Amino acid sequence: MNAVDTAPAAARPRSLVSLLALYRLLLRTQITLSRLLGIAALGSLAVVIGLFIRWDENPNQAAADAVVSYGLGILVPFATLWLGTSVVGDLVEDRLLVYLWLKPVPRWQLPAAAMLATISAVVPLTALPLAASAFAAGAADIAWPAFLAASLAALAYSGVFVAAGLWFRRAIWWGLAFILIWENVAAYVVDGLARFTVIGWASSVLGMAPDIEDELEAGSAAMALVVLPAIAIAGWLIATWRYRRADVD
Amino acid sequence: MTSEPRIAAENVSKWFGALVAVSDVSFDVGPGVTALLGPNGAGKSTMFRMLCGLARPSKGTVRVLGRDPRTDTGVSRLIGLAPQQEGVFEPLTAREFVALSAKLHGLPDPWGAAGAALERVHLDPSDTRRLPTYSKGMRQRAKVAQAIVHDPPVLVLDEPLTGLDPRQRMDMVALFRGLGSEGRCVIVSSHVLHEVERLGSRVLVMSQGRLAAAGDFRELRALMDDRPMRVRVRTDRPRELAGSLLAAGTVVGVRLDGADVLELDTADARALSHALAPVAREQHARLFEVQPLDADLEGVFRYLVQR
Repeated sequence: MNAVDTAPAAARPRSLVSLLALYRLLLRTQITLSRLLGIAALGSLAVVIGLFIRWDENPNQAAADAVVSYGLGILVPFATLWLGTSVVGDLVEDRLLVYLWLKPVPRWQLPAAAMLATISAVVPLTALPLAASAFAAGAADIAWPAFLAASLAALAYSGVFVAAGLWFRRAIWWGLAFILIWENVAAYVVDGLARFTVIGWASSVLGMAPDIEDELEAGSAAMALVVLPAIAIAGWLIATWRYRRADVD
Repeated sequence: MTSEPRIAAENVSKWFGALVAVSDVSFDVGPGVTALLGPNGAGKSTMFRMLCGLARPSKGTVRVLGRDPRTDTGVSRLIGLAPQQEGVFEPLTAREFVALSAKLHGLPDPWGAAGAALERVHLDPSDTRRLPTYSKGMRQRAKVAQAIVHDPPVLVLDEPLTGLDPRQRMDMVALFRGLGSEGRCVIVSSHVLHEVERLGSRVLVMSQGRLAAAGDFRELRALMDDRPMRVRVRTDRPRELAGSLLAAGTVVGVRLDGADVLELDTADARALSHALAPVAREQHARLFEVQPLDADLEGVFRYLVQR
């Protein structure tokens, strides 16, 4: 008997089946309870801030400012960094990637599943509290734009940080520097640089609400709806390229 | 053996900066069990990573069933790998772990296939405990199960016997031999000589990144038995014992160390092992300790490399 001739040929799995299997695996293995509780605690702080803003003379602008400075400047990027870099980065560090790499699955699927798993946790735990904070501030007009801005920012950051997790060892430190220096200092200090940042475009989405002044002025809200997913796609393509070429330990 | 190579490595080298992990290694592996033997750090795992396409050779070529495992993702359908690392997906049960492999291989009934693979390595598919609660031996078997779940014609098993108890080793060796006898190419790495002996297989020996020897295990065993060896013996009559062994020609040199310790140099370790007890009995000498001084695997491989 010859095993080559007789072995039942395992077919290439249908894309959706393998993508779903990877997504569920990453959700179960990497999105841990402690991480979720940590992000939920940060998210609940947004609601508390909203309650304090309630007494501001212009609650809409104050709520929008809080969404930008705390929500888009701290909550969303740090939450996405925490999960996004670890979702694949931990597999690399724990030398578990070998179990996924040596499978007849298109290489684009693991980064895609990692981004989906990251977004699945980050959006409910950050975008919803930010929308809730707008309601708490009595600025209901801001709620939907805040939710959309946070969701799109999470999408863009997930592409960046999943790629970073595949690219760098201890990517979380690289990501921290990126958030603090590029997204939170350079975007505000250097004129015109905001259009090269996620926070700049995410804050533009808040322009969908009436009478909101956008300090960063990266571009129009309509343009932001294109740019932020484009950043996510770019991150996903880079992650896929890196994953395809990586030496797996 | 090599008339129908399933795995072919040709002048393969792999270096990481200045560190050369594998140096100019060539071999063919056909159906049946082949052992890749070598001490820790010999380059076995790096070689396996290249065989599976997980790492790109710095130089040379690797082919699995005639295809490049690095660039041809379809080859992964034909390979089952049980890696050396101990890490596992912590939240998963053994069945979930093996079913994941089955799903990613596109098997129509992943749970059924996972159950069958687990039974084949003597693990209970209905066990609901998570993998980290398993003993090392059980985790090893789960890793082998995920490697065989899709019934691949080529199996690459990196130190699969580590952590198994003697009974489990015996069962696992029988499984590997069975898989080999079905016409599969099974390549198993080990740094333990007697494990390889049980596999009764063709052997590739790696040391310091190089292929030190290749061939039938019995030929290798004979080579190792022929090498010069030093044995330490503690006895209550060292001078009498030494005299008799020298007279019999079993040893070529003797050194007395203290009142009761002998260091014997022999060119034929097997002859010495057969002669020592009868000579001691003849001399009314009691043997308290017999210890080969350079029988560690590193020494064996050094000898093979230097030949």
